Amino acid sequence: MSSWIVSFLLATMRDAVPLIFAALGILLAERAGVLNIGVEGQMLAGALTAVVIAVLTQNVWIAVVAASITGAVIGVIQSFFTVYLPADQIVVGIAINGTCLGLTSFIYKITIDKGMQLIAPGTLQSIAPGLKDVPVIGFFASWSPLAYIAIVAVVLMYLFLFRTGPGLLLRSAGESAHAAHAAGLNVTLLRTIVLCAAGSLCGLGGAALGLAVVRSFTDNLTMGRGFIALAAVYFARWNPLLAFGACLLFGAGEALAFRAQAAGVGLNPYYYLMLPYVMTLIAVGLFGKGRGPRDAGKPYLKG
Amino acid sequence: MVVAMGRWQPLFIGGVTLILSLIVMGLCALVAGANPVTAIVAIFEGALKGRYEVLATLAEFSAISLTGLAVLIPLRTGFFNIGGQGQVELGALAAVVIGLFVTAPGWIVMIIALLGSLVAGALAAVVPLFLRVQRGASEVTTTIMMNFTCVLFMYVMVTGPLKDPKAFYGTTKLVSTAVRLPTLFEGINAGVLIALGVAVLMYLVGRYTVFGLQSTAVGCNRSAALAGGIKVDRVMVTAVLIGAAIAGLAGGVQILAFSFRVAEGWSKSWGFQGIAVGFMGGNPLGVLVVAFIFAILETGSRNMQAMTGVPAALVSLFQGLPVLIYVGLQAAIRISRWKTGAGRSRRRVVVTR
Repeated sequence: MSSWIVSFLLATMRDAVPLIFAALGILLAERAGVLNIGVEGQMLAGALTAVVIAVLTQNVWIAVVAASITGAVIGVIQSFFTVYLPADQIVVGIAINGTCLGLTSFIYKITIDKGMQLIAPGTLQSIAPGLKDVPVIGFFASWSPLAYIAIVAVVLMYLFLFRTGPGLLLRSAGESAHAAHAAGLNVTLLRTIVLCAAGSLCGLGGAALGLAVVRSFTDNLTMGRGFIALAAVYFARWNPLLAFGACLLFGAGEALAFRAQAAGVGLNPYYYLMLPYVMTLIAVGLFGKGRGPRDAGKPYLKG
Repeated sequence: MVVAMGRWQPLFIGGVTLILSLIVMGLCALVAGANPVTAIVAIFEGALKGRYEVLATLAEFSAISLTGLAVLIPLRTGFFNIGGQGQVELGALAAVVIGLFVTAPGWIVMIIALLGSLVAGALAAVVPLFLRVQRGASEVTTTIMMNFTCVLFMYVMVTGPLKDPKAFYGTTKLVSTAVRLPTLFEGINAGVLIALGVAVLMYLVGRYTVFGLQSTAVGCNRSAALAGGIKVDRVMVTAVLIGAAIAGLAGGVQILAFSFRVAEGWSKSWGFQGIAVGFMGGNPLGVLVVAFIFAILETGSRNMQAMTGVPAALVSLFQGLPVLIYVGLQAAIRISRWKTGAGRSRRRVVVTR
């Protein structure tokens, strides 16, 4: 394989990992009947937490855990609004995104004012940098450890949702909350737990972005990646395995955009940066929304 | 708990939301090491203390009130237009292109430029609309994707075909003074009046026209509206195109009244502020009130930074936090009513043609 293809494939994998975690978070929540439009905000908050904690502790794993906790906390806040009250899930999601965007750029400015250098340690960028020149093995050694975690998470999510009892219960709450309630399931509690888990997955996605892709933070670092993950979930018909593939596709788009831009192939570089967004629009256009979990997006009121 | 406040309820929720949001903002200022009261007072001073400050606030207001309307009008039919930012960018580009390249008497060019910005804004909504109506795709994703696409397209234009060859960064040339919107009295630009006029017009349309009633019907209960013989898709498409056109106009007005050119990073996040303003405004006149508050925050934030050292980014909290509080309060009141049985059947939409 030529080195261009190898580095392109590596970049594809690297750019796909944040999308994969986020897509799993969205998918899990929607399977239980709650839209997780707040994914963008959860990713942003996760990314900032991860970068700041990594700089402070110089330990990327503590940073990863902190990011997923941040995401989980936002998930719980979101569940207060969308499950307990319940308010409109889309409006709450949009508001969460706006709040997180504002809050992260405020905290980011404060860290700059305090003279912090927000450059995260690069230890999450590849799992075994020493082996990168070995043929074949070198390719897999250059993946981020988070990429392997993401793959395991995809498989576990699939098995959990479609091969276990609790997974079936979770999906039943997404298909018909009232039927699930009648069958003795505590829908409110279930959705709260699910949003917490979904938030922590999206926070992880943010951590992957902040620690393994850019190693830093800027205002609106995610640049719509949460919504690209959202499109990937619809594209993949709420199936974790297909979502993995869709995220790889969108990751490839992102990788291609930067590569083409660097190669300077004639066109204005900003055209290439449009690629992931235009690709997402085309994907949505080709495949439409499809039929998701029937009760996703509907507020659930007991009784 | 509050039960049945009738028509004063939105005002009450809005007031409580504003106070709670300011409290949270004050707490954040405290975390940043400043006196919260000083910081918030500095915001209001920076936005209102003198003629210059008030004019700057009005300039922001003209943009935010229009982008707020751009969210509100589609929202009434159940469409979340989060693509305001992209629509602003396209509208601004259209105004600049027409302002620079059309040769005619100044005021004619000005009017064509404003019309062009309306059309360009509406064009930015065509793809999400098509995907929603034809493919059932949620506009929440597609309008966001259009935002990035349009902003990047603006970058393509200002660093490429429209770039001022003399400039060191991506910017267009300035539109000539003849095509700019005039200053009317006390230094207030005509652009501010355009924003006010559009809001009043939209208020009248919403209240006194068939289209206004139909939009409300579609937004309140889509299937009932359909059963009532309303062409729901057509009403929604019209509302979205009007909304997006108004966002485009926001861009056009900013160009012709205040910034005169499009450049890298020329715009503020008007489109995103419009989301919060549109949600909380409730009706076009309410949008004006909320937009003015947002304009104060935006304009005064620099003064706060200068006076207290709290980063101006603090006010960007307002892009989401008040909406969260607002919908939370709204839902809490609705549920408590629903549980107590009060007002269970008070809201009824009667559709007649």
